[in-house]
Amino acid sequence: MASPVVADRPAVTPRPGRRRRPGFGRSDRLVGYLLITPALIYFVVFLLYPAMAALYYSFTDWNLRSPASWVGLQNYSDLLFEDVKFPHFWKSVQVTVQYTLIAVPLTLITALGQALLVNAIRRGSNLFRLLLFLPVVTAEAAVGAIWRWLYDPQYGLINAILGLFGIPKQNWLNTPELVIPALAFIAAWQCGISMIIYLAGLKGIPDSIREAATIDGAGPVQRFWKVVVPMLRPTTFYLVVTGVIAALQVFGLVYVIFSAGGGRSVTGGPEQSGLMYVLHLYLFAFRYDAMGAACAMSFLLFLLIMIVTALQFKFLKQEAA
Amino acid sequence: MIRRVTGTVAVAALLAGLTACGGSEEAAGSTTLTYWMFQDRTPQAGEVVEKIRTDFEKANPGVTVKIVKIPKDDYNTKLGSAVAANTVPDVGVLDQPLVARYAMDGTIKELPAGTVNEADYFEGALNTNRYNGKLYGLPVDHTAVALFYNKKLVPTPPKTWDELKQMSDAIHKADPKVAGIVVPKGDGYGAWMWPGVVHGAGGEMVDEANKKILFDQQPAVDALQLWVDLLPSSPRDITDSEMAFANGLAGMMISGPWDVATIKDQFPELDFNVAPLPYKTTPAGNIGGENAVVFSKGQNADLAWKWLKHLTSAENNTIYAQALGGFPINKAAAERDAGSFGEQQQGFLEQLKVAHARPAVPEWIQINDEIIAPAIEAALSGKVTSQQALTDAATKTRALLGWNS
Repeated sequence: MASPVVADRPAVTPRPGRRRRPGFGRSDRLVGYLLITPALIYFVVFLLYPAMAALYYSFTDWNLRSPASWVGLQNYSDLLFEDVKFPHFWKSVQVTVQYTLIAVPLTLITALGQALLVNAIRRGSNLFRLLLFLPVVTAEAAVGAIWRWLYDPQYGLINAILGLFGIPKQNWLNTPELVIPALAFIAAWQCGISMIIYLAGLKGIPDSIREAATIDGAGPVQRFWKVVVPMLRPTTFYLVVTGVIAALQVFGLVYVIFSAGGGRSVTGGPEQSGLMYVLHLYLFAFRYDAMGAACAMSFLLFLLIMIVTALQFKFLKQEAA
Repeated sequence: MIRRVTGTVAVAALLAGLTACGGSEEAAGSTTLTYWMFQDRTPQAGEVVEKIRTDFEKANPGVTVKIVKIPKDDYNTKLGSAVAANTVPDVGVLDQPLVARYAMDGTIKELPAGTVNEADYFEGALNTNRYNGKLYGLPVDHTAVALFYNKKLVPTPPKTWDELKQMSDAIHKADPKVAGIVVPKGDGYGAWMWPGVVHGAGGEMVDEANKKILFDQQPAVDALQLWVDLLPSSPRDITDSEMAFANGLAGMMISGPWDVATIKDQFPELDFNVAPLPYKTTPAGNIGGENAVVFSKGQNADLAWKWLKHLTSAENNTIYAQALGGFPINKAAAERDAGSFGEQQQGFLEQLKVAHARPAVPEWIQINDEIIAPAIEAALSGKVTSQQALTDAATKTRALLGWNS
């Protein structure tokens, strides 16, 4: 780590005259390095080393038991082009992208709506903030179990509510076309973190600007579109980027929702309609004995996320206007 | 994600390294045998295991058996990491479908000839330990799915497929809000049950010795068509409801003994029983449960086999299997102790006499999940015929395995 490099130099107190940056003398630097050492060790042992090891294993055929054998780019080319070995790879990409395209906007709209409401009420906003945040801190297994009941085709609350509007009962989690919207709806329900960040963004809009707009004759709708939305642009940009990254990696919820009865086999819902990328990766890593291919999948996902994020930085407006 | 997966792997490997140490410490005159198994389901099960352990130590002076209990959900990951890190136990439980894989790469030892009398064990259970015709472990317990039926709706359980279809029709006709039977789904779980139906029509899934796929032939097509034919009297809108059978929304379902306890606990008023699966030509069923194997890199192989004989002996096997939540694989034990099983468990005892092992193909789990399950789903959703679905699935399986027929 960094500390030995620093330690072989004597820690001298810098002379005041030579000091360029106050507060960053050598001994301070040593203390600084010492302070970040735990974080660095954590980073290297639990993130950097495993990530590098995964990169290596992505070029091998490895079942976790026998020694890994080098296969070069074969895992990657098989994943992309070999339908026999990975019949559902592209399906999992498609499912995940569809989910992301629905879940991220839905989450942001819900979060902004909730933030506006919480921001508007005078009394009890703490209580509502807590209630709206609860879904985020609820254990994923419990969330999955609850939503299985809510989406139940016979007794589910969702169907009961839709029934009030004359919409016929749907078999949400067992109809291939409805699985992704149903999962995206759960994500929107869990938008608490985005809501809190939007709330902070709203608090950051100076009252003077709103007042000025009001004086200029802007109504509430105009104020929302011409003042609030543009002023929140950096917040929205941040939430879109992190939201897309998270949505592309969704796993726990689908794992719980589609785990069947006594069997532990999770094949991603009806006709693989809920086979998220990371669920597919997990199955190859821990169920089908193909850790090498699973590592390659994780790097393909890494590349995809990097490209998507770069595109977002290039094409989305980041500055408040 | 990359972070998470690789992090998990690293943590798993570290944990395995920490917990799996001391597989072979040998003090003067004493031998320690390390045995890995699933965590106890109940405190009582723990006591049973403890008694079996101390009995073995008494009968073998100088031997200590160290039992490491691991939660079932983490077991395979942990074992895989231990194998990779060379910290395997001497002997341990292994999921049935993993035996072929572990045997293929030499991770586990072949059972020495003459160690056991094969006729003492149920054939289906013993066969789950075979790879290339040789035994690589012993079954310690087994389980299967059978037909649950609501006694109010089903006075006598159907024995044949025709009776099953008639019964299902009759139930749904009598009350359109009630389904005849919960038809399994085209997922990994349904694909695990389905071979039991195929065997019930006299069919086989594959012929490993001659590298032939057989699940595209008539018995398998008939088995899939049976499920398709049951759907009109068993609409998914009803059966997809959580606990449809327990709620009285379906007259029958196919499930395993784990559901007996759940239903009795949560739906005490439901009057139900369990019967063997209906069949077309031959009574048959599928199989699940645990095997135990001896690891090539472990120590004390002779003692390890002796321990497994102890667990599967006529004397101990019933209590050990019950502790694991399954049924005895030792015929004498099963016969003698049948009375110690509850009313509903009798159906499973009966079913297990005709259980068939799943194909001993190392890639079977993947074929089960990725090829057979979607084929079942395609036929059940009406997108293709049963024959077409299975013909496609067989073609894909041949391509994956490199088999010609």
